[in-house]
Amino acid sequence: MGWYIFIFISLIIFILLNLTLGSVIVPVKEIFNFFTGENTSKFVQDIMIPYRIPKVITAILSGVALSVCGLQMQTLFRNPLADPFILGISSGAGLGVAIFVMGFSAFGITLTSSLLASVGTAAAAWLGAFAVTILLLMVSSKLRDNTSLLIFGIMLGSVVSAVISLMQYFSSSSALKVFVLWTMGSFSGLNPAQIWVLFSLVLVGLALSVYNIKDLNALLMGEAYARSLGVNLENTRKRILVATTLLAGSVTAFCGPIGFIGIAVPHIARMLFRNADHKVLLPSAALLGAVIMVFADTIAQLPGQPGVIPINTVSALIGVPIILLIVLKSRFV
Amino acid sequence: MSRAKVINNVLELENVSLGYDKVIYSAINASAKSGEMIAVVGANGMGKSTLLRSLSGIIKYHRGIIRIDGENVSSYTPGELSIKISYVPSQSPRTKNLSLFDMVAAGCYNRSNWLGIIDNKEREFVNSTITKVGLTDFINRDSSMLSDGEFQRAAIARSLVQNSKIMLLDEPTAFLDIANRITTVKLLKEIASKEGKTIIFSTHDLLQAIKLCDKIWVMGHECFIEGTPGELIEKGAFDKMFKDSSLKFDSELFTFL
Repeated sequence: MGWYIFIFISLIIFILLNLTLGSVIVPVKEIFNFFTGENTSKFVQDIMIPYRIPKVITAILSGVALSVCGLQMQTLFRNPLADPFILGISSGAGLGVAIFVMGFSAFGITLTSSLLASVGTAAAAWLGAFAVTILLLMVSSKLRDNTSLLIFGIMLGSVVSAVISLMQYFSSSSALKVFVLWTMGSFSGLNPAQIWVLFSLVLVGLALSVYNIKDLNALLMGEAYARSLGVNLENTRKRILVATTLLAGSVTAFCGPIGFIGIAVPHIARMLFRNADHKVLLPSAALLGAVIMVFADTIAQLPGQPGVIPINTVSALIGVPIILLIVLKSRFV
Repeated sequence: MSRAKVINNVLELENVSLGYDKVIYSAINASAKSGEMIAVVGANGMGKSTLLRSLSGIIKYHRGIIRIDGENVSSYTPGELSIKISYVPSQSPRTKNLSLFDMVAAGCYNRSNWLGIIDNKEREFVNSTITKVGLTDFINRDSSMLSDGEFQRAAIARSLVQNSKIMLLDEPTAFLDIANRITTVKLLKEIASKEGKTIIFSTHDLLQAIKLCDKIWVMGHECFIEGTPGELIEKGAFDKMFKDSSLKFDSELFTFL
């Protein structure tokens, strides 16, 4: 219980920090005034409403979604390093975006910042992620053990990446730029409608994940034993894969592929709570994911500077040391 | 009359061939009654584990009929089957930070609510089962830190909590020292005789099988033979277990051993 309170308080602190810091620093007092509806300047409102609040909401949703997704994949595949990136779901999303962005450029059309471009990019990413998941689902009934499925996912990801490289080679420089910017990941630039869509998809994914808790706990005992307990393994696998696509696919569609959070956060939750029960791990991973993502975004916007670092750079800097620590410290997590 | 016989046998195998794409063992005819303790013996690689896994419904089998309570095994849903039969693998994976209580309580899967939470009556049942296998002192310990013997007993407790009629155990004593072997086997014998459960386990310990079991299933090189230990020794069934062995498993040899 103590850790929950600690994580919750740090979430609030990091959200406040995130709202305060940026290219322009907004004093905390002004933020309180803004939320209590007291006399805030037009200047603060103009920063908060269109920019900082949507961005922090997107960061929270992404952190929650990716962490809960990683947790389920690690349990399903009995592999501490499983996550949507390893399984090729993000690569699928990348392929969708690549076909959309660079495909248009092949016809001499350049998509830069129009509405069509942003909605189309998201839809393309979602379709790509979904296609890979359907492929994984079809194969998962053929491949009996999860290690084979994991290898299949990695290989699929590699092939997709190779296809994307090939497309990059032949595409125009402007289309290439749009694509590369998407791969760097960003929480800014989502309009309220897009945030509602992301929120709804993540909410459905989370609800399904909570429903998966019972079977996830049974899977900890090993697949053979879970089957003997009465778990319908095929259904369970499908439910977990659908939940993970909803979560990871949606975030990747809107924010780009964000690595390492999905692997690292569930391990932090396990270390803090020392409990393998998903009734504990799922909510704690969700909260921790939100904290870490908001923190990463705060660093990415380089307080006091006009520029922004790609979120993927920051997430790698935070996530990779944690993953290495886990690999070095204990062999089975 | 024949109907009474069907109900009497909780488990029946009729001309069963094991294997999925390729048959690895064929023509198994056997049966089990409630309260019976049955050992499955055979040389390495004969398919003892495959037999147990096929019985438990984890894997499909090639041909023949396996009946539990008179119904074809494949007609049960995983949930229905879990009430009839439980399976203890030879080595269950260990999960860090999973308490012994939670590990054993996992056996309540079918009777817990949608989130996997169990009521007080079930908690009491889990507690008393942990006491029965002699692990009360470890109830809140991390199950992955238990010794091999304790972990095996915890796995048996989990299977007991599942409360199925038939318990299948794949080499339950393979990784245990002599003291733990005896404790585990005594526990199984007690479960069979006191609770009327059917216990079927694979083992390489022929002496133990002959001494303790009501029946033995011999997966021989040429054929499958079922019988009581006495019958099997008389028939010389154990001689056919190993391909290149001139050992005669007769009463003389068993007296020597």
